[in-house]
Amino acid sequence: MTGHFHPYHLVDQSPWPLTAAIGAFGLTAGLVKGFHNSNFNLCFIGLFIIILTMFQWWRDVSREGTLQGLHTNAVEFGLRWGMILFILSEVLFFFSFFWAFFHSSLSPTIELGSCWPPVGVDAFNPFQVPLLNTAVLLASGVTVTWAHHSLIESNFNETSYALLLTVMLGIYFTILQVFEYYQAPFSIADSVYGSTFFVATGFHGLHVIIGTTFLLICLFRHTLNHFSSNHHFGFEAAAWYWHFVDVVWLFLFVSIYWWGSCLFSM
Amino acid sequence: MATWGQLMFQDSASPLMEQLIFFHDHILFVLILITVVVGYFMIAIMTNSYINRFMLEGQEIETIWTIIPAIILIFVALPSLRLLYLLDEVNSPSITIKTIGHQWYWSYEYSDFNELEFDSFMIPSTDLEEGQFRLLDVDNRLIIPMENKIRVLVTAADVLHSWAIPSMGIKVDAVPGRLNQLSFFSSRPGVFYGQCSEICGANHSFMPIVLEVVDTPSFIKWVSAN
Amino acid sequence: MLLAGTMSAAVMSSGEKVELKTAPFDARFPNQNQTRNCWQNYVDFHRCVKAKGDDYEPCQYFKRVYRSLCPNAWVDKWDEQREEGSFTGKI
Repeated sequence: MTGHFHPYHLVDQSPWPLTAAIGAFGLTAGLVKGFHNSNFNLCFIGLFIIILTMFQWWRDVSREGTLQGLHTNAVEFGLRWGMILFILSEVLFFFSFFWAFFHSSLSPTIELGSCWPPVGVDAFNPFQVPLLNTAVLLASGVTVTWAHHSLIESNFNETSYALLLTVMLGIYFTILQVFEYYQAPFSIADSVYGSTFFVATGFHGLHVIIGTTFLLICLFRHTLNHFSSNHHFGFEAAAWYWHFVDVVWLFLFVSIYWWGSCLFSM
Repeated sequence: MATWGQLMFQDSASPLMEQLIFFHDHILFVLILITVVVGYFMIAIMTNSYINRFMLEGQEIETIWTIIPAIILIFVALPSLRLLYLLDEVNSPSITIKTIGHQWYWSYEYSDFNELEFDSFMIPSTDLEEGQFRLLDVDNRLIIPMENKIRVLVTAADVLHSWAIPSMGIKVDAVPGRLNQLSFFSSRPGVFYGQCSEICGANHSFMPIVLEVVDTPSFIKWVSAN
Repeated sequence: MLLAGTMSAAVMSSGEKVELKTAPFDARFPNQNQTRNCWQNYVDFHRCVKAKGDDYEPCQYFKRVYRSLCPNAWVDKWDEQREEGSFTGKI
């Protein structure tokens, strides 16, 4: 393009960093304010501004990449590494919750009755809904791969079907988790079991919702013909993220639901 | 008790504090050695005019300046670990004292005998009598028999505190819901002072610890009288 | 008076050797953290009484140990919890 001799994308001036900062400030200040006087209006306004910013900023990014052709190979290289490092940071985020879980469960304190699950906590049977959830997420991992291969082979219809199926499986997982939470015989306030359980599975649930949204956006962009067979990093990033969420679930299922529900005492 | 302008440790009143002081002196000796040698190197490098523009590495000197600090660290680590494990050792104590940190006072329980428990509050500056130490003396002292192995179990009732007596070389955190064990041996009679050593709120500075070490018959007499 | 129901075998009379005794070192709890030492002896005492009855003398050993090790506030709390049936230990 005019006047520059490098492959990099020098971004245009944009209002979104500023609106994101305003939204983040409103969110944090509103949260603290809400804790003080139970009025969360400012918090919701901040959240709304952030969501609006995210929509418009990422809309701009996909225009730059898809329509303006600014995402060259060198830029895509940077995007890939950015996504890899982001997912790595997410891995470490979940690592801390697993650390908290194993710290508390491997040597349960006397207040818990020196056993795990603690006295009075009825853990879920891991082979009912949680096992179904495992199957749902594993199946969604298959369908997202199907979508990817269809995309590489320029098969528009199969990509759409597979992606739609993936999104629906993601929504199904979320619905199952909502019912599971609704029926839970213990709450987040029931000892460190409830705390670690709901914080870990809750953050995983949040990541499922984020991943589902990401895939849904990819589906919309696909219907708008944004993806070509050799240039579709937005989709790949969503797929990577989805696989990450899937793997976290497997660890959650095996450690917290399964191993963590087998009664043992000291 | 520490006095004005005191730079060094208080005199030790227990064998382990003696060991801690020996260890401190040992470490200072090592530090002086390192400071002198490194200082000599620095001055020598800065004051000479030898320059080698093409020297990028020197395997021999790098090997030497890696191995020598490693050996020095071993000489620091071994006595340190020995002391660490000695401080944790509890062998056949003669009495157990429970110490509970509160906002903002300590309370003590002697349950080997007929239940004996009391609170230990700092004496306010306005109530001090001649010879008492401001912000350091308490109404009820912790009394122990001398030349006996003492086990102290420390916990807290509200927030974190820390129970410490420098001249005995002891300090342990008081954590709600947890019992921390500590043992010491007092080699001589006397009154020893300490202070809460974990920020615990507004009056953290005003919950001192006073330990009075007496001979065993006096101790028994005191226990029987209470 | 000093000796009644205690760990201490201290005796004081003129010229006699004085001996103080407390809960001994327990190899199950070699660490600084003695929380479970106290708790285990509390539970063991009540298990012992449940199995052997109130008058069984050897049970008193556990009681002496837990009285020596546990903060009184903990013992009071656990006694209340046992009465309410909300004590977490298996007795």
